[in-house]
Amino acid sequence: MKTAAYRVHRLIQDLARDGEKAGQFAADMEPFFEAYELAEQEKQLLRSGSREDMIELGIHPNLQMKYMRVSKPPRPAGPSPLQPYLKKLGLE
Amino acid sequence: MGKIVGGFATSHILFSPTGVEEQADRVADGFLQIRDRIAELKPDAIVLVSADHLNNFTLAVQVTLAVGIADEHTSFGDGGVPVMTFPGHRALGEDLARHAAVRGLDLIQVEEVRPDHGMMIPKYIVDPDNKIPIVPLYVNAAMPIPPSPARCFALGRALKETVDHQRPDDEQIVVLATGGLSHWLCVPGEGDVNAEFDREVIDKIITGNAHQLTRYSTDQVVELAGNGGLEMTAWMVMAGALPNVKGEQLYYEAMPQWITGMGGVALVPEGV
Repeated sequence: MKTAAYRVHRLIQDLARDGEKAGQFAADMEPFFEAYELAEQEKQLLRSGSREDMIELGIHPNLQMKYMRVSKPPRPAGPSPLQPYLKKLGLE
Repeated sequence: MGKIVGGFATSHILFSPTGVEEQADRVADGFLQIRDRIAELKPDAIVLVSADHLNNFTLAVQVTLAVGIADEHTSFGDGGVPVMTFPGHRALGEDLARHAAVRGLDLIQVEEVRPDHGMMIPKYIVDPDNKIPIVPLYVNAAMPIPPSPARCFALGRALKETVDHQRPDDEQIVVLATGGLSHWLCVPGEGDVNAEFDREVIDKIITGNAHQLTRYSTDQVVELAGNGGLEMTAWMVMAGALPNVKGEQLYYEAMPQWITGMGGVALVPEGV
């Protein structure tokens, strides 16, 4: 399976660690694409951000999930995935 | 000399029960069984074995095997688990690193690591009040060159030797491995579950025959169980720490709706 160039993964890892940068990226990706010296095809596929395009680009699976989160404007946190189980598990 | 008084392994996610209510209920029951059995064993510490999900170790620094040696750890805060600080066990972690090195297994020692959902969902259920010291033991299953099932089984043996020969008399340790079972994550095949392979893993472990699983290469496991299914190597560490010990399946549910074969086992040595 194809693996994306490290510059793509470095961008996603850096965004995943820095919420402020992630917010800036979601608002305007282009300066980040320039700063990380991405190739044109990489930029196109990241602008799309679809699952198929991320696989085509060869983004690491765990980083695909992180990219889906950081490439969109921040949203209020939804319910915890553990919410339906808290009572049964004695965690309420 | 100390003693490993129990070994457990479980999947480490809980998704929406909508549409799979009965299966989800059985999975949750399985988690509760693990919690209750560990409570009965009253361990002095839990060695918590899992992969990191590129939250601590990334492609920038690809860590194969690592042990947490801090006096306390703070969780990453993902997967619905609140950020919490809980006791570590520096001496046990360091003894493991030291003895593993003697055995030719060089563990990265980490002071600053924030266990993510892979460790924390089971830990939160098992010990929500943060009373039991935890030694996080990381087995890479997500970055490009992971350790093999055989390597992980050997690490489990080194863990057993550490506890048996390097730790204080009467110290009681539980090994809790998390991850898997079969799942394909963000790759073609996502949603598939290989129940046959999952059941083989469970059967070999609970019949004391986990060494037979060491014949699988990393590539074979990925082909059979998915890139996410490679997390079964954490189970191999647990099994290596309780060689020949028989146990039981606590739950198994093939759940394409959760894109995962969900399973849990318990091994308790005779005399415990």
